[in-house]
Formats: sequence, C-alpha cells, structure tokens
Amino acid sequence: MKSIELIRNFLATRQGIETAKVVPEAVLTDLGVDSLMMLELVFEFEDQLDIKLPHDLKSPKTVGEMVALMDGLITSQKG
Amino acid sequence: MSQRRVAITGLGLVSPYGGDLTDFFARLTAGESAIRHQRIDDQPRALSIPFVSCPAFDPDAALGNPLVAMMDRFAQLGMAAAFAAWDDAGLTRSADGESRDCWGVSWGTALGSTLTHEKVYRDLWQKGRDRLSPLTVVLGMNNAANAHISIQLGLGGVSMSHTVACASSAIAIGEAFRRVRGGEAPVMLTGGSDVPQAYGVARAWEALRVMACADADTAASACRPFAADRRGLVLGEGGAALVLEDWDHAVARGAPIHGEIVGYGTSCDHSHLVRPEVAGQIRALNATLTDAGLSAADIDYISAHGTATAEGDPVEIAAIRTVFGERAEALPVSATKSMHGHLLGAAGAIEAIATVLALREQAIPPTTNLTPDTLDPACSGVDHVFTGRRGVSLRTALSNSFAFGGSNAVLAFRAVPR
Repeated sequence: MKSIELIRNFLATRQGIETAKVVPEAVLTDLGVDSLMMLELVFEFEDQLDIKLPHDLKSPKTVGEMVALMDGLITSQKG
Repeated sequence: MSQRRVAITGLGLVSPYGGDLTDFFARLTAGESAIRHQRIDDQPRALSIPFVSCPAFDPDAALGNPLVAMMDRFAQLGMAAAFAAWDDAGLTRSADGESRDCWGVSWGTALGSTLTHEKVYRDLWQKGRDRLSPLTVVLGMNNAANAHISIQLGLGGVSMSHTVACASSAIAIGEAFRRVRGGEAPVMLTGGSDVPQAYGVARAWEALRVMACADADTAASACRPFAADRRGLVLGEGGAALVLEDWDHAVARGAPIHGEIVGYGTSCDHSHLVRPEVAGQIRALNATLTDAGLSAADIDYISAHGTATAEGDPVEIAAIRTVFGERAEALPVSATKSMHGHLLGAAGAIEAIATVLALREQAIPPTTNLTPDTLDPACSGVDHVFTGRRGVSLRTALSNSFAFGGSNAVLAFRAVPR
C-alpha cells in the first residue's frame, strides 16, 4: 500500500474525511489530526507496513511531508 | 448560605428495551423483564448467564464514528445517555451565549473501561502482540465518560467520576445535587454507565456465587428480589443520565421540570466488605430524611436496592421497617432490578430515573417475579408492589443504593404538580 493511501483510508474511516481532500499540500491539523491522532497514524504505519519509526520523530506538517517521511523509512528499512 | 432548590430538567438513558423514556417506564410499570440469556464464548470455557444488554444501541448512529473510536463501550453508553438527557432538558450541545464555566459533570462507574483492559491483556498475553494502540490509555481511563461529556457539552466546571461499586451513580447524583443546591453550579450533568460483560468480570461474579443461573427459557424470571426462591442478581449493561438544575435557572429558561431532588444521605457499614448491615442502612435512610427536611410519614414509595441476593434483601427490608416503624406495612416498596438487572455503577442512575418517572406519572413499577405466595417471610413487613400501580398519589420517594464495601447512599425526590 502506498503511504498516501494509508493516510487516506485512516482519515476516511476515523474522521469521515473525503479522500479528495487528502492531497500532498493539505495541512494535517486542518484535517483534524491532533497530537493523539498523529500517534495513531504512526501506529498504523508501523503496524501495516512493518516499519519502525524512531522515537525522536519530528512530526510532519503536511500530508506530503508525512508521505515523504514514510516512504524514506520504508525504503531504508525494507530496501 | 441560602440553599437553592434543585430541579430535574433532563432524563436520558440507553434503554435495554430499545425505546425511549416513555417506553422504558411503560414496560417497567407493566412488569416486563429485559433479562435475556447470554452466552459469552471464551477460553477456557463459555459462560452462560442471564444478562441485560442494550442490543438496539448503535454507537455510530448515536455518537458518530470519530467519537466512538475514542471510547470504551462504558463511555459510549454514558455519552449517549448524556446527550439524551441534555436534549430532553432543551439544552443545546454547544454553549449559546450563557457561560458554562461553572457547569459540571459528576459521573458514576464501578468498572470503567474493563472491556478495554481485557482486550489489552488478551492482545499482549494471549495473542502475543508486541504493541498496543496509542489510544489505550485514553480508552482505558476511568474518568473517560465524564471527560468526553464535558468536552461534548462545553462544560467548564468540575468533571469527575465516582467509583463506589453498586452505589457509584447514586453518590455521583448526590454529589452533583449538593453542588447545585449550594450554588456552586447552576447545572450539573450526572448519572452513570457500566459494562459488566467482560469475560473476566462475569467470571469473577460467578465465583462469588451471587449470580442467578438461567437458560433461554427461564432468563426473564431469573431475578426475583424478596422472593423465597430468589437465586441472586442478574448483571446488566447500560447508561443513564440526569440534568440537575438550579430551580430558578430552570424556570427562567422555561425548562421542563420532571421532578425535584430534595435530599441525599450516605453512610458506611464499616463492618464487612460484602455483608450488608441494618444499622448502616438505617443511618443512610435517616440522614437522607434529615437532609431533605422530611419525616418518615412524608415518604410514599421506596425504590429498593433489592438485588435478589440471599443476604441483601432481608437486611434492606429490616432497615426500612426500623426507620418507618408502623408506617412500613403501608409503604410501597419495589425493586426494578427484577426487570433491568443490576447495572452496577449505573444502577443508582437508572433507578433514580425510574423513581422520578414514578413521581411524575403517579405510577409505581412492581418487583416483577414476586407474588404474595413467593414472598420470603424474612422480607415481609412492607407493602410489596407485586403488580404495577397506576393512578396512585405520590408526593415523595426514596431510591436506595447499598454497595459492596458497605457504602450506602439514599436519594430523595419530590413530585412536581403538573
């Protein structure tokens, strides 16, 4: 699964947010992602994509930043 | 300081019958049991018990998915009951001009998020999962229901939960009552919720040998308070909420007033963890009468704690007989747990609602499954309500909650002429 699809699926199920609104330039807090929900998203990435996020992870601001971060981790950890 | 009168302006519950408040009270008064047979399939063996559940409750429809995902079922039932009570009181979900900085929540729950904790342990130790959801703490905390209620209704005053076993929500209501009466809060949302169907919880009650047994054919009549053939209590899940409001505040905004809460008394047996004591219950009953400025002659009905355990029922009747003396013989007493089961931390709240509706409707729900022929002689000496009564004249009523741990709480309510 692509990183952006995971974010879209999560926000659709969890918050009822239309997929069309989850675009790279969208700001995560504008989509209702607060600090607690960010942890949930991180948990979903770790769980579904079998990657490990570092503890000192800097929270991404936009959907695009999160996708880039996750894609980088997937590449480095899973080759 | 002058004391405020306290109106009950909102009532709400998740009914085990699936309907609204009117339906709930009509079925209670008709003596209809909501108890069904339930099988909890789990390891090491399935548990087969009589139980009261709320099968018609649809959390997503009542609360919306984003909220549901943040809540254990006990908080879902509590939030749904709170919304219902709030709507019933004619209050808006968000503040509409008037500050709610002093409005608060006083909730009751005996078990809290036990279902969530059970799932966590199952995931860790049974399924060998290495990681837990980051929501585990907020799902599992015992004050989750009151916290969600405060957030959803914009209440800036005290937000607290009381855990006092079977008296949890009676004490929550009483403490809310004191805050409104004392002028600290013009409005308090109060009540309780509990979900005792967690496998470990149900097995623990089974081990205590105080739960009634039944199969699919006998479940409806499994709970028989005050009957010689009673076999114990029946657990149930649920949520029930009341809006307590400064009388003048309620009148000023033209709110519906279902009844008045006029007294609250507590005591502790301080003698035994599970064996109730007459003396402690007498002190709670007398404390409530004193607090309300009432005498025994003023009380027209008692909603009993009446769990249908061998030890509890005769002790409660003995306490009532002592406090009410010669009047006890003519004092109507009934235990609605015979129909909606024992909701533990929500019991005091659902029974408070039944008592307020009894006063409002001038009708008394019965102890179903009890007849003059089956009445335990050890429980005689009061006017047991064997079948529902309508068209009676009720001025004031008490609701008893006597908990494990010896904590006793009694609430007093007065009818408002309609």
